[in-house]
Amino acid sequence: MPACWWIDLPETDYKQALDLQLAVVSAKTAGRLDADVILCVEHPRIFTLGRRGGRENLCVTDHFLAEKGVSVVPTDRGGNITYHGPGQLVAYPIIDLNRRRLKVVEFVSGLEQAMILTAGHWGIDARTDPANRGVWLNGDKLGSIGITVRRGVSFHGLALNVNTDMEPFTWINPCGLDQVRMTSFERHLNGPVAMAEARQEMAAHLAEVFGIALTTVGLEQLYAEIELGD
Amino acid sequence: MKAISELKLPEDVRYTDDHEWAKKNGNVVRIGISDYAQDQLGDIVFVELPEVGSTFDKGEEFGTVESVKAVSELYMPIGGEVTAINEALADEPERVNSDPYDSGWMMEIKASDPAELEALKSKADYLEMLKG
Repeated sequence: MPACWWIDLPETDYKQALDLQLAVVSAKTAGRLDADVILCVEHPRIFTLGRRGGRENLCVTDHFLAEKGVSVVPTDRGGNITYHGPGQLVAYPIIDLNRRRLKVVEFVSGLEQAMILTAGHWGIDARTDPANRGVWLNGDKLGSIGITVRRGVSFHGLALNVNTDMEPFTWINPCGLDQVRMTSFERHLNGPVAMAEARQEMAAHLAEVFGIALTTVGLEQLYAEIELGD
Repeated sequence: MKAISELKLPEDVRYTDDHEWAKKNGNVVRIGISDYAQDQLGDIVFVELPEVGSTFDKGEEFGTVESVKAVSELYMPIGGEVTAINEALADEPERVNSDPYDSGWMMEIKASDPAELEALKSKADYLEMLKG
């Protein structure tokens, strides 16, 4: 089976992480990078929109957001508006779905399962909801998914609220769903969990769900590999 | 999801590696996605198509479909100018799931090089690729 690299990034600006994803996708679709790559990251506070938008689900003014120092960026992923911020575990699996014979629906379900298993490590009983994608806990949303598939290669990914500051979610109708409340591990457990442990759990469960072996690789090596063919 | 033997794969369309189909329809070529593609994407909630009059080369991205929180890009089976899009998909994108070769068609183009159509996969070749 082809290799899959796990890359632990420090807190990284959204745009910078997106540029890295796009560079990996280009290297893969051009045949310059054989390995699949999963980027694990936390972002500074930001709202992102889906390919079809979602700005209408922003419930506060641009002036308010400017004062808070939070920007809103359009993206080309599936899904509607969402919030990213420190304490939220984000994973971007850049995987050749065709090569691994993974159907898009199976892949999205697998991402949900990996979030559920990660929550389960702390005894949190998260579930899927047949009516709405993502991962739910007692009717509140714990984790979200939004992906893009380009020439069979996935990018964007999942966002799981571990120790996320929940206030910015009250400024939007998350995922375009009215009346949805978001929750986090921290809120449910009345205390934070170690992010490093959450990242390890996520890596282990993504590997388990998709039946792939992960190799931890440094960012420098990824840069070197991507630039090899230039 | 469907087993390969359950897929509808008409003989009278040509297929691409990216799971689009193309079929000659009078002076134009009609384009859509295969039964395999719609099945693996899941419930389609939105189809984004180009403006009539735009032109694309073979293999260029012409639009996207969104399903299950996933945006998947669509690629031109052959090059040409868009002469019509299936307006009904704006309100009923699910037609791509239920009827991918007929009422779920996506657009019609005037082929820039009709020979490109013949170079696409036949049903037998496409089926062989799916079986891997």
